[in-house]
Amino acid sequence: MTDPRPVSLQIRDLCKSFYGVPAVDGVDFDLVGGEIHGLLGENGAGKSTLCSVLAGLYRPDSGQVVIDGQEVHLRSPDDAASHGIGMVYQHFRLVDSFTVAENIMLGNAATLGRKARRTVDERVQLIAAEYGLDVTPWAPVWQLSVGERQRVEILKQLYRGARILILDEPTAVLAAHEADRLFEALRLMVAKGHAVVLVSHKMQEILGHTDRVTVLRAGRNAGAGRTDAMTPAALAAMMFGSAAAIDPTSTSSAISSPGATVLALDRVSATGDHGRTAVDDVTLEVHRGEIVGVAGVAGNGQRELHEAIAGLRPVGSGTLVIDGTDCTNAGPKARHRAGLAYVPEDRLGTGLASGLTIEHNIALRSFDRPPHSRLGRLSPKNMRATAAGLVRAFDVRGTRDGMPVSFMSGGNLQKAILARELTEHHEVIVAAAPTRGLDIAAAETIRGHLRRERDGGRGVLLFSEDLSEVLDLSDVVLVMFKGCIVGRFAKADVDLETIGLLMTGAEAVAM
Amino acid sequence: MIAGLVVSPRARPAMAVRFGVPLASLIVALAVGALVLLAVGSDPVEAYRTMYDASLSGSAPIERTLTYATPLILTGLAAAVAFRMRTYNIGAEGQLFAGAIAGSWVALILPADLPSPLMLVLMLGGGLVAGALWAALAAVPKAFLGTDEIITTLMLNFVALALMNYLIFGSLSFWRDPRRPVPQGKKIPDAAELPLMSGRLHAGFAIAVVAAVQLWWLLRSTTFGFRLRTIGDSHRAARYAGIGVPVATLIVMSISGGLAGLAGAIEISGVTKSLEPRALAIELGYTGIVIAAVARLNPLGVVPVAVLLAAISTSGSSLQTVGVQVEVVVLLQGLIFLAVTAGEFFVTNRISRRPTATRPAPPSAPAPASVADVDEPSAGLEPMTASPTARTAP
Repeated sequence: MTDPRPVSLQIRDLCKSFYGVPAVDGVDFDLVGGEIHGLLGENGAGKSTLCSVLAGLYRPDSGQVVIDGQEVHLRSPDDAASHGIGMVYQHFRLVDSFTVAENIMLGNAATLGRKARRTVDERVQLIAAEYGLDVTPWAPVWQLSVGERQRVEILKQLYRGARILILDEPTAVLAAHEADRLFEALRLMVAKGHAVVLVSHKMQEILGHTDRVTVLRAGRNAGAGRTDAMTPAALAAMMFGSAAAIDPTSTSSAISSPGATVLALDRVSATGDHGRTAVDDVTLEVHRGEIVGVAGVAGNGQRELHEAIAGLRPVGSGTLVIDGTDCTNAGPKARHRAGLAYVPEDRLGTGLASGLTIEHNIALRSFDRPPHSRLGRLSPKNMRATAAGLVRAFDVRGTRDGMPVSFMSGGNLQKAILARELTEHHEVIVAAAPTRGLDIAAAETIRGHLRRERDGGRGVLLFSEDLSEVLDLSDVVLVMFKGCIVGRFAKADVDLETIGLLMTGAEAVAM
Repeated sequence: MIAGLVVSPRARPAMAVRFGVPLASLIVALAVGALVLLAVGSDPVEAYRTMYDASLSGSAPIERTLTYATPLILTGLAAAVAFRMRTYNIGAEGQLFAGAIAGSWVALILPADLPSPLMLVLMLGGGLVAGALWAALAAVPKAFLGTDEIITTLMLNFVALALMNYLIFGSLSFWRDPRRPVPQGKKIPDAAELPLMSGRLHAGFAIAVVAAVQLWWLLRSTTFGFRLRTIGDSHRAARYAGIGVPVATLIVMSISGGLAGLAGAIEISGVTKSLEPRALAIELGYTGIVIAAVARLNPLGVVPVAVLLAAISTSGSSLQTVGVQVEVVVLLQGLIFLAVTAGEFFVTNRISRRPTATRPAPPSAPAPASVADVDEPSAGLEPMTASPTARTAP
């Protein structure tokens, strides 16, 4: 069933923008059968857009995709599959209650009926044995481990005849020994003439398991070449650009020496959604008059850390002190009272109740005390007055009487959250991805608020996947990798190359 | 589907839409029903007049309709308050039985010469508490262990029904009248009967209406209502705001169960006068869920919807006297409810012609004034793209 000819794929000058913002801007990419090709870049570099174009999910605005010397137009995932492109997503697309074989033949009408099923079982076993991807065809998927599920996803693509396999962050969910097995299987595939694209921002993985690597930065090619000719430092420089990217004129703290500690974490650990340790022994301090920025690739425990600080996730061990009050075991409300303002990652759903009005959402923290209520009775008049005042003060646009906030745009949602959080009593602000998805003007407004808070003598802990934002705003930069703080830099001695290496976990290699 | 039409959610339906659409739906249902009646050889005009006469014309039909609507209002409220918090108590049926059993027990155990107001307060209070406790059997595991309340409340309905049947048909219990050979409940004392307001309409109807207004006020104007609405919209936002979801679950389930229990006690006191399983097990609890859904979980909306449903039900039997088959009667009832429920789509969504511009203005927000208004598309902003709440007709 394997095509003996090695497959080849070229992408020429590919462009794709969303709402006028280019996500991929003139990218070239080459792939040949028999290689594992690493695709490296930080969040938002354009990796997933490029892969989605190949998977037939997005249609490019311009540029060419050439497979085996023929230009192709990939209009749908089916189209991509018929050209031999298979994509394995980070979040598996399997039906839990179906068996392995049923999942593999899903969407394949020719495989209905009991006899056909037996054939499928046999073929699945055959392919599985060929690539060392052992799974039981008749096992229901809900019984499988994460590593086995991933094998099912890969088998599904091979069964459909994929010759180009794209894996998006395949090891993010795997334990170390499972990752090793995965790479063994990938090696077998390329030995048979397949091509594998490995999307990753783990440098060790790219260096250890790929033949060639292409680096993207801000939607453009930042470098490509044979992996054995690359060094971690060179790759980090390609990923994050040169140090000149830091704006030397960016404001720094008005207070020269940091003030009292407003947030202190001592050896804090927390568990992630799947029971694994996501925050591992984190110690950090935020002082008055400083912005502490946490840099890191998404999924390295940042979300769990700020949720643990906000009280939305239990602190497993260690202590957490907000402005002198021990809040280790306190609920969100007590932490808020102790002086914490929190701008969560997801605006609609956590930061705001999406189906309710702006008045309701502005009063979310203060509805149970005067002036918004007295003796358990709400004062709609005062709630309206507060909301109207804050909407004006924070320039929140697009609100209408009785309208659910879900009709507002992202920038205005974020302004509404800040309006509420910054008006309540607070000494420290924890802001998670505060400008994600916002246009430049709205993002700058939000950053301005954070700077003003800092200059007003409060502490700010900023989580952002946008490294340039962290570097631009922060007085102290922390780097988070695999749940740990792996680096701490004062603004003056920020070393972009080292930060890049730490973020991608390559420091061990470099040293 | 019709080409060139775009469906987008309305930010805030206008009053005319909110009341006009259900009315139009009713007319559509009656028109379709007329065709059905013609098809089976009945005269639609005569049939509709008979229905109207039997349920809404004159004092006796109106009293009968409102009497039947009384427990439906209460079970409708029971479902509405729980569903508002996205706690799916579908156990109003069983909670009503629990209230009926407890209410009749209180009425029978107290001295028969107690002053009537005191007797009624104790009896209806007993029903309310029993309904709340029955709901607590599901609410406590839900609040602290996260069990699925849909399953537990549903199962408890069958337990309560079996218990009630056992008390009357299966044993010589305290509730059963020993002097009669056929199984029947003991009659409650006269002091435990609700006074009549007009003709045959008992005061329970007034209690139900007051409960609806109270509940509306509770949801709208108290901090408890604020908590409940926040939880109903998003558990995560509620936790963020420091609202305790387990405690709120217990309170809401108690209110919900209490209302259903009150309905059971009122039925005993105002209608059956004894624990009468066959008269009580007529799916009043399940019908309450339908009523709450049609009323869009608004307590004030529950009252007219319950009365409409009661009118349809009471008029249904009269249709058979003019030769309309019982199947057609059920079909007519179904049509009216289907139309009113389906009409809901047009209340919450706007249908418009596909705009010619490539980027239409947000459906309800004012025209974008600056860049800051039109950055990232959030739910509902962009009717043409893959926003989860907007659909485009092909």
